Amino acid sequence: MDFGALGVYICLFIALYFEVFLLISYLEKKPSEKTDDLPNYYPTASILVPCFNEEKTLEHTVRSLLELHYPKEKLDIFIIDDGSKDGTRAIGERLAEEHRQVRFLHKENGGKYTAMNFGIERTGAELIGCLDADSFVAPDAMLEVVKRFEADPATMAITPAMKVYHPRKVLELMQAVEYTFGIFYKKMFDNLAALNVLPGPFSIYKREVFETIGPFKHAHNTEDMEIAFRMHAHGLKIANAHNAFVYTTVPKTPWALIKQRTRWSQGFLQNSQDYSYMYFNRRFGNFGMLVLPFALLAFLGGIYTALYTLYRTGVYAWNKISEISATHIPPHIPTEHLSWFYINTNMMLFVIIAVLCGTATAIILGQRIAKTNLGVKALIAYFALFGFIAPLWLMRAAWGTVRARESKWR
Amino acid sequence: MKWQRYFLAFGITAAIFTTAFYIASKIDSERIANIRATEDSISIDILSSETQFELLGNLDCNTIAQNPVLSDQLNSLASQLSVAESNLGDSNGEVIQLKEQYSLLEIKDYILLQNIAEKCHVKPVYVLYFYTNNGTCTNCSNVGDVLTYLRGEYPGLRVYSFDYDLDLSALKTLISLHNIQDTLPAVIVNNRVPVYGPQTLQSMQALIPELSTLSTSTSATSTSGY
Repeated sequence: MDFGALGVYICLFIALYFEVFLLISYLEKKPSEKTDDLPNYYPTASILVPCFNEEKTLEHTVRSLLELHYPKEKLDIFIIDDGSKDGTRAIGERLAEEHRQVRFLHKENGGKYTAMNFGIERTGAELIGCLDADSFVAPDAMLEVVKRFEADPATMAITPAMKVYHPRKVLELMQAVEYTFGIFYKKMFDNLAALNVLPGPFSIYKREVFETIGPFKHAHNTEDMEIAFRMHAHGLKIANAHNAFVYTTVPKTPWALIKQRTRWSQGFLQNSQDYSYMYFNRRFGNFGMLVLPFALLAFLGGIYTALYTLYRTGVYAWNKISEISATHIPPHIPTEHLSWFYINTNMMLFVIIAVLCGTATAIILGQRIAKTNLGVKALIAYFALFGFIAPLWLMRAAWGTVRARESKWR
Repeated sequence: MKWQRYFLAFGITAAIFTTAFYIASKIDSERIANIRATEDSISIDILSSETQFELLGNLDCNTIAQNPVLSDQLNSLASQLSVAESNLGDSNGEVIQLKEQYSLLEIKDYILLQNIAEKCHVKPVYVLYFYTNNGTCTNCSNVGDVLTYLRGEYPGLRVYSFDYDLDLSALKTLISLHNIQDTLPAVIVNNRVPVYGPQTLQSMQALIPELSTLSTSTSATSTSGY
């Protein structure tokens, strides 16, 4: 028996189970359509924009906030310069002078979570949000968030639907598909009350969250993930506003992408260690029983499948080289192998097709929720590249965790 | 928490896995049926030639020249059997049965080839190749590859490959007739003495000088070990 292949079958079973679970969840509760309804009440809100050397995108980010369809007197924008070395400070100060809604704060560099806490201490707003200085919000995003809070008063924090800002290069297109897939599964996690992260781009919290569980922590450079874990630990509900769109810029080079994802993945592993008691704990509902274990299994399965594929490819290449050196047969293409008879049609092929169909379905549903059309080029980029690049950051994150080395925020 | 959702997802996933297993098995069965049909077809071809031989006491050599008795189907059958063996395993009952039938057809084809050569005064070029899958023969695969390549290069070359460990009396007779030892791989070219051990393409070509009498083809037909 090929135990290596058995391991891949187990990984495929887990992946397929997860996809099926989310699709069942979708059929049970489909995302609502966007309406023109307005909130009954407009709470005061402060949006914190922590920035460190963001002179290129800061103004665009703040202008997108200024264009939010929300009463001006109810919305403050805090630009928090975390000790930038470039022209961020000058831009922030100018924006604060030009717009009454904007406040500029400067502090010594201490990391994103310190900038966030710096802002939280200086606002008395009912809602406190964060917007990374490389992201831009849709004009009605705040209204959609407030409507979502109104729909369920027990909700304590809300994540938006994130899209990639103007994807053009192949790597950006790949991430655009990944983010669209993310829109689907975040909505399904919302159905399951099991959202696992409150991302930097436009997650909005009720003030009581910080009063109840305290400020952001360093949390292995993934404060947005840790606070979601902590909220679940305290029974605070997180929801998803799938009609609140936020656009974020994504890494444009493979190395930048691997660095960013290593930080996320390593943060997940290290936060998992800190909150290990939540795993398979029924007290934390679907978050503890499904999302956390499956995220960890996806992590391990991704590494295992990549290493197994690498091993099999290596063995095949070695055998071919050995065969050529032992027989001196020149390279040639056997023509009869073009017949259907020679196509490898073992069970794994059909299981992989099923998993890919599940992924494609999730992407299509994500497109429908996001009201976007990714195009064929983006889909090809995703299916051709993701499987090769993702294992690199997974392995790097695993190695970093084993060595307990902190990943860099910047 | 809705536990039904967990169980339902498990049931659907298991059903998808079962379906994948069923489809893969169905395709394997199709392959086996395909091989069996090919073997039956070859069997009828050979029986027809034998009957013709017995009826006339001789063969119409012109007809043979136009419609070679040595069916090219045996070549593709070899590689198809190789695929079936790698998919289903060499201990699979159906695979063993098909290999036994294939070996018998090869032996009959080999005998017929000798008769045709004698009656029609032609000089066929053929190789009897003995291999084993029991894990002791590290060079069998390479020798098989060399012969497959040559068969693709020289369509007139006949290669009869036999699994040494197959429990088939006719094959055992052939092995004892040629006094083949179990130090495989072993090749016999045109009924000369057996040659054992690894072979490169060049050394195999040197073993078969008659290749120069055969016309070449630019397209290979198989890479199987048969």
